[in-house]
Amino acid sequence: MATGRTGSRGRGARVAVTGGMLPYAAQMATRTEVRTSLSTHRQAGPLEMVAEGLGELWSRRRLVRYLVGADLRHTSSNTLLGEVWWILDPLLQMAVYTILVTVIFQRSVADYPIFIFSALVPWKWFSTAIEDAIGSVTTRDKLIKQLQFPKIVLPASSVLAATYNFGFGLAAMGIMLVLLYPARISALLVLIPLVAVVQFALTFALALFAAAINVFFRDLRNVSRHALRLWFYLSPVLWSFEAFFPEANRTLRLVETVNPFYPVLSAYRDLVYYGRSPDWGALAAVLAVSVLLGAIGVAFFKRLEPAFAKVL
Amino acid sequence: MSAIPGGPAARDPAATDPVVEVRDLGVQYDLRFTRRTTMRGWFARLLHRDGSHRRFWALRHVDLRLEHGDSLAVIGPNGAGKSTLLLTLAGIIRPSEGEVAVRGEISALLTLGAGFDQELSGGDNIGLVGAFLGIDGRTMEGLTPAITEYSELGAFIDAPLKTYSTGMRARLGFAIATAVQPDILLLDEVLATGDQVFRARSLVRIRELIREAKAIVLVTHDLEFVTELCNRALLLDHGEVIALGEPAEVVELYRTRTAEQRARQEAEAAVIAAGAQAGGGGAEGAPAGGSGASRA
Repeated sequence: MATGRTGSRGRGARVAVTGGMLPYAAQMATRTEVRTSLSTHRQAGPLEMVAEGLGELWSRRRLVRYLVGADLRHTSSNTLLGEVWWILDPLLQMAVYTILVTVIFQRSVADYPIFIFSALVPWKWFSTAIEDAIGSVTTRDKLIKQLQFPKIVLPASSVLAATYNFGFGLAAMGIMLVLLYPARISALLVLIPLVAVVQFALTFALALFAAAINVFFRDLRNVSRHALRLWFYLSPVLWSFEAFFPEANRTLRLVETVNPFYPVLSAYRDLVYYGRSPDWGALAAVLAVSVLLGAIGVAFFKRLEPAFAKVL
Repeated sequence: MSAIPGGPAARDPAATDPVVEVRDLGVQYDLRFTRRTTMRGWFARLLHRDGSHRRFWALRHVDLRLEHGDSLAVIGPNGAGKSTLLLTLAGIIRPSEGEVAVRGEISALLTLGAGFDQELSGGDNIGLVGAFLGIDGRTMEGLTPAITEYSELGAFIDAPLKTYSTGMRARLGFAIATAVQPDILLLDEVLATGDQVFRARSLVRIRELIREAKAIVLVTHDLEFVTELCNRALLLDHGEVIALGEPAEVVELYRTRTAEQRARQEAEAAVIAAGAQAGGGGAEGAPAGGSGASRA
């Protein structure tokens, strides 16, 4: 059988001369008997790359599941409390920040622990996802030189593993609401997944760039630690304009418009802390930008992927 | 060329297309972004701007055609490009120039235990590696009992991989890698793993795979193996094809070249030693070894 056109998503058209050859990745994925070819002349367009990358993620979802499982096993093993840490960790972090802000800085905000927690849990999702994704390709350097598989599954599983963790954070938040702040529970809580979808798109897009760039510049890991920290302080986790600086000037307010996490984290806080409807327009804008960025991210990752095995 | 006893099955007259076709293959490595590049190094090199010697060809001008039933041995000194050739055939490395066309399902036994995760159990690792190889879930489930039995792990199959001995890991890796019968089998010196008993057993399995496969490419330093199992041999050196043809002849040529090289090195060492004593002298014009002719 020399026709692999169906699986190759248009790539075959470019090598019609050689009879519709499939790229290796697709061939290995399906393991059907087809003619495969690799040549230097074939270069897919950005849209084809996006389609191909997403197709790979879908066809390799079982691999992603295994990788996420392994990732979770790694983070919970070798500790006495294991999975309990996933709930304990954000709670302790919240306690530290609560002490910092209410005791040291002497700021008093009503129910400050849940004020922080509603934004801290999603932020932790983002930061662990990015930190994991940065090393997701480089730490598997040996594997990449031994097996042929779509590398896009690596950052994807980093983000998904962090999402799993986020679920535990939400559970902790639920416990906290029930035990300490039952008055703040409202029907709006069921909308949290909608905000999470927006955040997931944004996180996944950035994770793709982070994973691919780090293969070529290992400095990214060093830079990212500080960049994420700065981003954390510029995002409304410990503070918000409304609760802390209602008279902030316009320059300062720029943070609100430039930082996509401002509307995202504010939305979580609106739902959990204030019990009001968030700014859906701003969220939609973030989603639109994230989807576009995600598409560029997939194309960018796919474009650099062939070089991974040679560089690592 | 007649198929050698114990080698691959007799050629199927219906299959006229080559199973593997390599045309003018070249693989170039760009040293600007090698292992552990840092921004500092990159900028430094950008300033010096000397592109040319930052790249090198690991393979160049390789032409190859494997028909149904062919079994090719790739031999050559270290750094000749043997592994690069296998990696390119396996699709792990993309060619920088030329073309590689492969017809059929490939299985590469390059490293045993590639894809293993230390924290997962043996059973989960079977699933994980299967997923890496792109074998669908149902097929893998069907293969699992056979893999478990072949690897002789017993109750250890449910224990995390980090508790395994090297031998157990090798057995499991080998069992997974050889569970699926591929059309085209790529082998890279995996025969030398495990204890004596397992080695003998794995050799039996490899012979089985070789018999069943449409084509085999085998990288090895074991020259006995080449003449015994293969019907063609490829000698590479410095990324170039030195010879391609009958195993016995190619192996002979390789032996001669190695001997020549050793003699030359000894002579050079002697010259250097003499030079160190006499405080002068230089290396003589070393004879250019081997012909560039391809004997296909």
